[in-house]
Amino acid sequence: MSVVFSPFESRLATPHVPSMQVHGVGQVAFSGGDDPRLSRLYQHDPVRILFPRPAQNDLPLAVFVTTSGGLVGGDRLELSVRSEAATSVMITAQAAEKIYRSNGADSTIEVTLTCDADAWLEWLPQETIVFDGARLVRKTNVNITSGGRMLAGEFLVLGRTAMGETVMEGLVRDEWVVRLDGKLVWADALRLSGDINEKVQHPAGFGGAVSIATAVYIADDAPDYLNLARELLSIGNVNVRTAASVVNGILLVRFLSSNTLATRNDFGVFWAGFRSAVVNLPNLLPRIWHI
Amino acid sequence: MHLIGMSTDTIVNSLADTALYKLITWLSPNFPVGAFTYSHGLEFAVEMNQVSDYDGLTHWVDGILRFGSGRVDSSFFRAAYEAQSSCDMTALSLIMERAYAQRGSAELILESTTQGRAFIDTLVKVWPEARLQAWHDRLAVDSCEPPYPIAVAVAAAIAAVPLEAALITYLHSFASNLVSAGLRLIPLGQTDGQRAMAHLEHRIIDSARAAVVRDPEDFGAAAVMVDWMSMQHETQYTRLFRS
Repeated sequence: MSVVFSPFESRLATPHVPSMQVHGVGQVAFSGGDDPRLSRLYQHDPVRILFPRPAQNDLPLAVFVTTSGGLVGGDRLELSVRSEAATSVMITAQAAEKIYRSNGADSTIEVTLTCDADAWLEWLPQETIVFDGARLVRKTNVNITSGGRMLAGEFLVLGRTAMGETVMEGLVRDEWVVRLDGKLVWADALRLSGDINEKVQHPAGFGGAVSIATAVYIADDAPDYLNLARELLSIGNVNVRTAASVVNGILLVRFLSSNTLATRNDFGVFWAGFRSAVVNLPNLLPRIWHI
Repeated sequence: MHLIGMSTDTIVNSLADTALYKLITWLSPNFPVGAFTYSHGLEFAVEMNQVSDYDGLTHWVDGILRFGSGRVDSSFFRAAYEAQSSCDMTALSLIMERAYAQRGSAELILESTTQGRAFIDTLVKVWPEARLQAWHDRLAVDSCEPPYPIAVAVAAAIAAVPLEAALITYLHSFASNLVSAGLRLIPLGQTDGQRAMAHLEHRIIDSARAAVVRDPEDFGAAAVMVDWMSMQHETQYTRLFRS
């Protein structure tokens, strides 16, 4: 049934307040093995996916862009990437993701990373910057088939550190669930709520760090690279706390610092060095990382 | 019967003498799980001078109870206890898988599963019980190493020990072991150790109560530095502890 209002009536009617909340979707998959090609592309505002030309001898590259510039309470993003059988690809983001102060609702991000047998997938996000009072609920689901290899990262920054903002309140729930051949092999669940700064300053909490980055390498041969990871970390900034461990067959690498730029630098140096040593890719990050 | 919503008084009053006896025995420092060999990252924190005195030690343990393993393992404990109580073996397997996978370092997995294994192996020898034996057999078939909170929770549920009392005792044992490690590492005297346990009394009780009422899917933590210390401990030059 359609109802036709005259212009006069419509002006009298209760004004419809359009929902400002967004529900962005980005899905991208590559297949084709040695001749990689896009096998799936779907994007819904404010998510756009770009395909800049990769560096010489480097992998096909897809870049996620959130055109709205950030998420407010109630906004939702669903991102999904997949490298299909024997195909190698790198996915990154154009810019930091900003999570603005919320008026009560959560900003939700759901990421699904899938890597098939004999495939290589790199997921290198830029910072997620959580403003004071923001409410971020993010879940990253990783599904990998044995024989596949994935280097996946995450980079969380508490507050606009460049302007000295401290996150005092809000919510950060950041969960990772990694499945290998359908079996849960690693999970991580960060939760900050209540007096957030107390936990950030607590020696058992963040120990004063406001930026925390994580890299996980999930592959059958992951434990073989623990010493390599430690060597790569040993050349980092002295004011970044880094460490590596093999947890249930997954190589887990952490970076923590009160200096976001230093964290970013060490995370990038590790990432480029690791991909170069493990799969003989250029010891480089996409140009977009350096902008 | 669901325990959620029952007041603590009801639970404590209904704690049968046999249940109380089992709790005290199973979570006593004498029970052979080798707890004294694990510091949960504290050994490196002391090495780094991040924990260096009585105040630092109680603050460290307090944080772990509020937003570290004390919180997360309490959630796993509760979920496993409820699964076992309702004979939901699928739910029990799922929570065990999660409790195993959600560890921040190699040594934190070792700490949890070796104690869980020793606990359940001792229990089936000393306190034989058909359901416990069945679970023990199933772990062998699945070649599964049970995280410590899961092992204690299953045994407590089978023995009909009330959840909150079991959780308080479990957390007391965990905190007491950390304090004991701190006494040896810093070092501090025995009186300071007892002072720390007195200081943590309400924190432990509150943590147990909170675990029983919060969202059962909430396994969140914020003790990133504990994980970091534990990772660094792997390459610490001189070590007394296995974690």
